[in-house]
Amino acid sequence: MPAPPEHPTNSSSSVPVETVSADVAITHEDVDRAHDRARVSDARARKSLFSQMYLLWLLIGPGVLVMLGENDGPSMLSYAATGSRYGIGFFIPFVLLTFIMALVVQEMTVRLGAATHRGHAELIFDRFGPFWGWFSMIDLTIGNFLTLITEFIAIRAGLGFFGVPPWAAVLSSLAVLYLALVSHRYWTWERLTLAAAAFNLIFVPVALLTHPHWRSVGTALITWKPLPGGFSKDTLLIMLADIGATVTPWMLFFQQSATVDKGLTKRDIRFGLIDTALGAALAAAAAIATILATAPLFTRHMSAENFQAAEFAQALVPVIGRWGAALFALGMVEAGIVASITISTSSAYAFGEVARRPHSLNIPWTEGKAFYSVLFLCAAGAAAIVLVPGLPLVYVVLVVNVIAVLAMPPALVFLFMLVNDKELMGDLVSPRWANALASCVVVLLTAAGVLFGISVVSPRWFEFLGGH
Amino acid sequence: MMMKAKKERTTFDASEEQLVLSSLERDQLTEVKKQHFPRRRLKGFQVFVLWALRIYLLFMMAVVIYQVWSSAH
Repeated sequence: MPAPPEHPTNSSSSVPVETVSADVAITHEDVDRAHDRARVSDARARKSLFSQMYLLWLLIGPGVLVMLGENDGPSMLSYAATGSRYGIGFFIPFVLLTFIMALVVQEMTVRLGAATHRGHAELIFDRFGPFWGWFSMIDLTIGNFLTLITEFIAIRAGLGFFGVPPWAAVLSSLAVLYLALVSHRYWTWERLTLAAAAFNLIFVPVALLTHPHWRSVGTALITWKPLPGGFSKDTLLIMLADIGATVTPWMLFFQQSATVDKGLTKRDIRFGLIDTALGAALAAAAAIATILATAPLFTRHMSAENFQAAEFAQALVPVIGRWGAALFALGMVEAGIVASITISTSSAYAFGEVARRPHSLNIPWTEGKAFYSVLFLCAAGAAAIVLVPGLPLVYVVLVVNVIAVLAMPPALVFLFMLVNDKELMGDLVSPRWANALASCVVVLLTAAGVLFGISVVSPRWFEFLGGH
Repeated sequence: MMMKAKKERTTFDASEEQLVLSSLERDQLTEVKKQHFPRRRLKGFQVFVLWALRIYLLFMMAVVIYQVWSSAH
């Protein structure tokens, strides 16, 4: 076998990394990842349909997790608020569009991770330097912590429907987070979290219980109408919240790091795209189902101004009965738990990448004390804040989603520049059509943010632009 | 790619070492991933865009804080 090159390069790029000695230490993390990759190689070697399905099963994970993880507490609450305030209409196709935007963006992180085998934070620090790197990390840290708070709000409110006291709700969700981690194996963690994330689809039967008017759904998908009340400041806030419910900075960091931790390579990129598209389809189905589930509140003219997660469930009791409402509340709990796992993991990955500490779900506690501590402390800190009485919960979640949208353009530009970095990506740089789509997403998000700013700072200008 | 596996604190048997060397790409090894990619040189327009978006974000955060404050009052 040939000796390693004197100046090893990244598998797809032409950037020389510093010379690596022929003696390369093997770590526990490498061994665990090698076991996973060996199964992938075995499945790939066989050509039967069953083997290909098995290969897909082995390779899906980060994409489905990131999409269903983003269908989190505040997201489902935003969709519930959307359905109850606007019914079936404009927001059905609008939410679909946001998931297409998410797919366009997230696919890039798969390519970046598979091509470079490095996490997102690590690449930003390496290629743009610590000055821009720290800006990016501050955005992520603040955004993740605020979002984590809202996850525990959803968990607390959802379990509140069943009479569980807030402290017990918060403690039990932290226990679930801990249990997902105890195996110290990425594969086990991923499968456990995927199983939990599948419960996000609980909103589909809830929607069916409301007997949606399918013809109205079809008409809305084609015409993007109606939009009750027209384009107002409140409509803009809900639009931003729904965008923030689908595309947020933590998703970029999480999926790229998870792609690396899972060990995906260039050969797996096609499966990574399928994984992300599958996740987007499932998450879109759950999101639209949530809008459909709460749409009867709109037709019954029930004010949803101050609804919290559990109150949506209680309001739905006359429409879908106690069992249906209980499913809705359970969905909120699931959304909060899965997202608290994925978001705290994304914070821990980013911390490890920047601090150059071991950062993998394959490492044992003794090697990854800093990684696991950051992961758990982020979640515990956010959980503790939720126990503060008197928080305006719905307002907090809408504002957090808006902040996510506002933080997205700078994060996307880093992603855009990295994925078009020929030295890093080699022949895997984004094709023109992908760049055009990604540019549209950046422009759309920036425009939405600017419009929001105008509506707050100068309502007259907002009216001049067609709002009211 | 031939690499002699050096034993770390944890001892791995020969079959595990062989599994790692045959299943992972060189760039996937934890030790190799510790190497930094070199810094890229940003062009003027790229720096402008990064600064513009940074200012945009700071301004919008101020708007959000103002909105939260005005709603609270």
